[in-house]
Amino acid sequence: MSEMDPVVGIDLGTTNSVVATVRDGVPLVIPNRSGQQLTPSVVAVARNGKALVGALAKRQAITNAENTVYAAKRLIGRRWGSKEVEDARRVLPYTLVAGPDGNDVRITLGGKPVSVAEISAQVLGELRADAEAWFGVPVSRAVITVPAYFNDGQRQATKAAGRIAGLEVLRIINEPTSAALAYGFGKKLEKKVVVFDLGGGTFDISVLDIGQSVYDVVAVGGDTYLGGEDFDRRVMDWLTFNFARENGGVDLRQDKMALQRLRDAAERARCQLSSTPTADIHLPFLVAGGDGKAALHLTKQFTRDKLEELTKDLVERCVAVTEKTLKDAGVRPAQVDEVILVGGMTRMPRVQKAVRDFFGREPCKGVHPDEVVALGAAIQAHALAAPPKPGSEVLLLDVTPQNLGILVVGGYFQTIIPRNTTVPTNQTHLFTTVQDNQTSVRIAVLQGESDKATDNELLGEFVLAGIRPARRGEVSIEITFDISADGIVGVSARDVATGQEQSINVTATSGLTEDELKRIIDENLDDLLEKKQSTVDLERSRARVTTAIAEIEALVPAVQAALERSRFGRDAVQKAEGVLARARLALDGKDTAELARVEEALERTLQLFKGLAASPPQGA
Amino acid sequence: MGARRVSVDRYQDHLFNPADLSEAVDLDVERRKLILFAEAKLAEWTHWQVLGLPWNSSVEAVRAAYIDQVKLFHPDQYPGKRLGSYRTRLERVFRRVTEARDVLVSEEKRAAYVLATAPALERTRIEARRLEDERRSTERRGRLARHNPLLARAERISELLKRGRELMAAGRFAQAANDFQLVASLDPGGTEAGPLAAEARKKAGAARVAECIDRGLAAETMGSWPGALAAYRAALEAEPANARALILASRASTEAGDPGAARDLAEQAIRVQPRSAAAHEALGAALEAAGKRGDARKALERAVEIDPRLDSAKERLKKLRWSFLG
Repeated sequence: MSEMDPVVGIDLGTTNSVVATVRDGVPLVIPNRSGQQLTPSVVAVARNGKALVGALAKRQAITNAENTVYAAKRLIGRRWGSKEVEDARRVLPYTLVAGPDGNDVRITLGGKPVSVAEISAQVLGELRADAEAWFGVPVSRAVITVPAYFNDGQRQATKAAGRIAGLEVLRIINEPTSAALAYGFGKKLEKKVVVFDLGGGTFDISVLDIGQSVYDVVAVGGDTYLGGEDFDRRVMDWLTFNFARENGGVDLRQDKMALQRLRDAAERARCQLSSTPTADIHLPFLVAGGDGKAALHLTKQFTRDKLEELTKDLVERCVAVTEKTLKDAGVRPAQVDEVILVGGMTRMPRVQKAVRDFFGREPCKGVHPDEVVALGAAIQAHALAAPPKPGSEVLLLDVTPQNLGILVVGGYFQTIIPRNTTVPTNQTHLFTTVQDNQTSVRIAVLQGESDKATDNELLGEFVLAGIRPARRGEVSIEITFDISADGIVGVSARDVATGQEQSINVTATSGLTEDELKRIIDENLDDLLEKKQSTVDLERSRARVTTAIAEIEALVPAVQAALERSRFGRDAVQKAEGVLARARLALDGKDTAELARVEEALERTLQLFKGLAASPPQGA
Repeated sequence: MGARRVSVDRYQDHLFNPADLSEAVDLDVERRKLILFAEAKLAEWTHWQVLGLPWNSSVEAVRAAYIDQVKLFHPDQYPGKRLGSYRTRLERVFRRVTEARDVLVSEEKRAAYVLATAPALERTRIEARRLEDERRSTERRGRLARHNPLLARAERISELLKRGRELMAAGRFAQAANDFQLVASLDPGGTEAGPLAAEARKKAGAARVAECIDRGLAAETMGSWPGALAAYRAALEAEPANARALILASRASTEAGDPGAARDLAEQAIRVQPRSAAAHEALGAALEAAGKRGDARKALERAVEIDPRLDSAKERLKKLRWSFLG
């Protein structure tokens, strides 16, 4: 059954994404078509107008910085004008613009404004295609992970991205919970576990009770703007500052290409410092010298100590969040049975030390920090898709990460569903009219930690209209807020006296209205059908090319022997090698036309080789 | 047949809606009944009943029962199955089960719920224990207070004031005065203790005087004039200007054969109460005993002048006149 109708789990990361599945009861990562486990979450439009996703997009980022989108996850579901978006605008090489209603963020890509959900959808679509290539059949159902601390808007936008990519999103699950699932899968555990997840863009911490295959989340916490990107930015700032000092005030930030190279170098150096005490950063010809002078190079030795000094406060922020979350859970560090490290940033020795010091124990080394989240998502997808085999049942009981409430008089925030409430959940709130003959009431739904409404994230506003006219206080309206297992908020209202129900849509902050979303999905459907066809063609073409290459290679010794005896056609093997090299290159790409040309060339070479190999030895 | 009886018992003759039992979903009849029954009992059952636990089960038992219930009632436990209306039913039961768990494992909420749902007998027992705990804690607070110098002082002051008032009410003014005086010295800034102490002292003095006088009168009836004199002198120590004591002491001195002292005392009494007939009479008696008849007569006449009904004085005056005539 699972072979017929595969389901996947997708870790849609800030910097890298991973797709996984469960095969024969074993969770495993599906390699992408280039054979890599990780696919960079990068989307670009090349100069020739071609859309690029993943490693191909990342590779050309330096030369095409303005049309290369990375870290879109940091923008998904965010409001235009929010602090996070304003910060991002200052540092990102690509251009952000406001959406049509002025509320959400669009990214200018290839000269067109594109919603963030669509960018993420392209990454999801790429992973889906990788999975389809691996399974050999279409894949349409997936579980997608998000940081536990994501709010409703960010979850809705992620779900929309899945739909745009043509996926039925079985569930949005939290990354740390997912990691715990992968950690505990197949083991008989009775444990209190903490997942410390420091990824490319977000930090999450979760406390779970695992027992009898039930993963009961007790508390979550986090910071959706704290991750590897921030560490890299510190390194970049330091490099830029030093460069300016050493080169008479040349500001690298003015040069987008230089900035992109700097970013790559900073990330590489930071990763390298996890295993070595020093790293050399060498960027020749980084910027033009100006006034016709020679180009400037950047050469710098970078040490682990320096990195730790530059990012000390970031690590401290992680510890502070951890402390608060454990307090919420009512758990002391010493009561925790296991600490699981997730996310590439947890490879940094200083981060590991902070965790060790806080919990007074060695963190678990048994999971792969980059893959574990996708594996957990695959396990959940599997459990939701079909009745599990005995021994592989799992049940996730997750919680809502932030208080959900409404705006009340005086600009205050009234909590209706407190954070760390097990989902799905609902809560009813009774409103009474405050004016005579009041016929409508406007309700603002917010999510956050502050008592002041303005400090919290506005999920949406709705107007409850058509209230029957009566004296003030005589009409009671019961409003039910519910949070689904995906962590997505819904609202419904009912007049207590008449029983009249009204369903309310909290305006999605994904930046896409439902109509817009439908239109994009329709457009993509045609596109997808076409792509699917071309994917199948592509795979067939690749298969033929691969066979041809193998056949030609097998004939090489015979052909060489034949050529030794011949006076002409000595260059046939060199020519054939040229053809083979071109064919291998084409295999890596997705250009069907090029593959077709290569196929032809290979066919000719094969015929020639067959002829040569079969030619009878001529007189000695 | 047997299986049927079990199911009837389990669901306590609950009437299932046949439409619910025949809905086109991928659930067997027993599972449907389980879900429908749990849903029907949502509002009625206590958190304990929802989890299938006896009252006041431990937090660990609650957690374990929750896991069991969740495995039955979480919609995710029915993957790939058509659930129809049962999906919402399951969700409702799941939420109820979760609510029960949340309350019963919560440090703040559990205790109140345990009490609220306690059987009657248990409730009285709990209430008795609570009162006992309260008493102990008051006691402990008191003990602690005694060991804290500042608290101890405040505590002692209020204790002394309280005791002083009680003593006053009981008529034990001397002890009350002591307590108030102590408070005034412990808390010089306090305005309450000073006047109270003065009042108590005054009342204590009066009480002492009255007591001594009683003793003196008792001695007089026994015919013991020196004993009476000693008692009256004691009264005068407590209140030197007490006219009554002065008069009585003067009279006793006269009887005890000390007219000099008797005259002094009577004269003091007259200074305190110039219009006291008894004082003048006592002076007359003292002067008479000292042999100063003329002065005695003047004094007695003055006494009768003040109080014409003072027969003892008239009598004495008559005797004096007779002896003068005789």
